Amino acid sequence: MSELAQGWRIARRSVLYETHHPGRLAGVVTQLSTQVFLTWCLWTALYATVSFNAGMDRGQAVTYAVLATLYGRLRGPDRGLARDTVRQHVRTGSIVYWYLRPVDPQRYHWVRAVGDQLYGLAWAAAAYTVCRLIGLVEGPASKTAAGLFLLTLVLGQMVLYYLLALVDVACFWTLNNFGVGAMINLTQNLFAGAIAPLWFFPGWFQTLSSWLPFQSSLHVPLSLYVGRIPPADAGHYVLVQVIWIVLLALVLRRFWRRADRQVVVQGG
Amino acid sequence: MDGPAIEARRLRKVFTTSVRRPGFVGALRSLVAPERADTVAVEEVSFSVARGELLALLGPNGAGKSTTIKMLAGVLVPSDGEARVAGQVPHLDRKVNARRIGAVFGQRTQLWWDLPAVESFTMLRDIFKIEQEAYRTRLEELDGLLELASFWQRRPRQMSLGQRVRCDLAAALLHDPPIIFLDEPTIGMDAVAKEQVREFIRYQVEQRSRTVILTTHDMAEVARLARRVLLVNEGRVVYDGGLAELQKEYGSGWKVRVTFATGEVPPGIPGPGEKVGDAHVFAGVDPTAKRELMRSLLDRDDVTDLETHGDDLEDIMAAVYRKRAAVTA
Ligand SMILES: Nc1ncnc2c1ncn2[C@@H]1O[C@H](COP(=O)(O)OP(=O)(O)OP(=O)(O)O)[C@@H](O)[C@H]1O
Ligand SMILES: [Mg+2]
Repeated sequence: MSELAQGWRIARRSVLYETHHPGRLAGVVTQLSTQVFLTWCLWTALYATVSFNAGMDRGQAVTYAVLATLYGRLRGPDRGLARDTVRQHVRTGSIVYWYLRPVDPQRYHWVRAVGDQLYGLAWAAAAYTVCRLIGLVEGPASKTAAGLFLLTLVLGQMVLYYLLALVDVACFWTLNNFGVGAMINLTQNLFAGAIAPLWFFPGWFQTLSSWLPFQSSLHVPLSLYVGRIPPADAGHYVLVQVIWIVLLALVLRRFWRRADRQVVVQGG
Repeated sequence: MDGPAIEARRLRKVFTTSVRRPGFVGALRSLVAPERADTVAVEEVSFSVARGELLALLGPNGAGKSTTIKMLAGVLVPSDGEARVAGQVPHLDRKVNARRIGAVFGQRTQLWWDLPAVESFTMLRDIFKIEQEAYRTRLEELDGLLELASFWQRRPRQMSLGQRVRCDLAAALLHDPPIIFLDEPTIGMDAVAKEQVREFIRYQVEQRSRTVILTTHDMAEVARLARRVLLVNEGRVVYDGGLAELQKEYGSGWKVRVTFATGEVPPGIPGPGEKVGDAHVFAGVDPTAKRELMRSLLDRDDVTDLETHGDDLEDIMAAVYRKRAAVTA
């Protein structure tokens, strides 16, 4: 079995977390459709009085906002429910088994995350198709915009993976910082544009955001999709994404090295 | 390859933890200038285990058993000394080491909590790159020994403890490792499940010639499974040798349990005895004292019940820990 085949076999298990639980599937569908619907109502209402705001017309803003609600899904199934997060494994000590298998913890973590994110993308794609069919969102601004959207989406997913992985590996040392995870989650959602399109925030906020990696994952691809970032400017954003990927990958590797050397297993 | 399956040479492990100061200000100070404290979990442990041997690693709570096992398994990096498994230093190449060893840490599971146990097995099949044919044969064998099929479609969260640990044992052996570490595998199990697990361990040693290191607090289990025991206390080896010799060396005492009709020790009996329930227990090491006691008891009409036996293993262990503690103090 090649490494790639093995990776795929491990990655595809992400599907099982929800398909084995019809209740959870139903929950996800309900939650997602409610969110999409409410977001659509809100942004349509906001644009009832003005036709143009923060550089976006109604169609652009609604499309951005509705697609942004799919952000949570991009990470795939809820691993917390399945007691399969790094934090939980470190806390209970079952992380010990990650070091007793012929697959590096780093690689295992990566492969599982790819599975999760592919699964999440499949959901997002399905939801997108439905939204298009019933006319909640507009199509991409142009063919070029669509292509750049896909490219920056993939790069953005990689940035997102590294961010999440860093938080995960940090659990090896910061087990007791309960609040940190929640805070990072909020920051991420906020700066990614998942709560509201970043174009509506004050200038200083957007400047701050441009110095952070979070907007890579969602704000950039969506802005390209709706045409709020013109394709001519895309090069700059792609470069920033690539720089973040390289930087975060290097930091992550150091984190893993340290974790592997200093791993301490809780409890006897 | 010749040589022992497992070797520990002056293994030592020191944990450095940051001490949390009490209160909010304390927490802030800890954040800025953390205060470090060292815990010596394993002081110095040396021993070796031959291929196909079962070694019972015993000791009181906090003795350093689990820490020793984690070092041998290659998970923890020793602070000093060296571990060798099949001649190699385990933590240097964990991936190679993983194929040689299987491990069960009783309180925690390696099964995917939210998936049916069979899905965990197939996941491990893929992780260890086990051929489908070999996988099927092994799973069949494990099912035969542990009777898993009736519940392996369940998720671990819906299993009883005994069922879960049986699945964990199977999971640890799917890749057919020659060496197994079992850290309290029978903790919290009922008598029937324990018996099944013991039989399983015995089979792995006797029929499959696997090397096993087993820790447990269940002395009945030790008596049933182990010929050789390694006693550790406060991170040091206090005894390494045969179980029979240990019993001979430390277990020379006697115990006599008597129930008197009156409930009190009548005059003329040597020693006051210790009241345990309705009975009195007399204990000692001197055989003549025992003979004298027995003689005086056997003549009496008010003795309703009389039992005599040597120390059991629990007592022997307690005696060893006490004696060694006195030596090192
Ligand atoms: N991660 C850790 N950080 C700090 N100290 C630890 C850690 N793990 C273990 N210790 C300490 O090391 C000592 C040995 O622990 P260990 O778990 O090896 O004992 P044990 O012999 O397995 O005990 P038990 O029979 O209770 O399982 C204990 O004093 C424990 O408090
Ligand atoms: Mg222990």
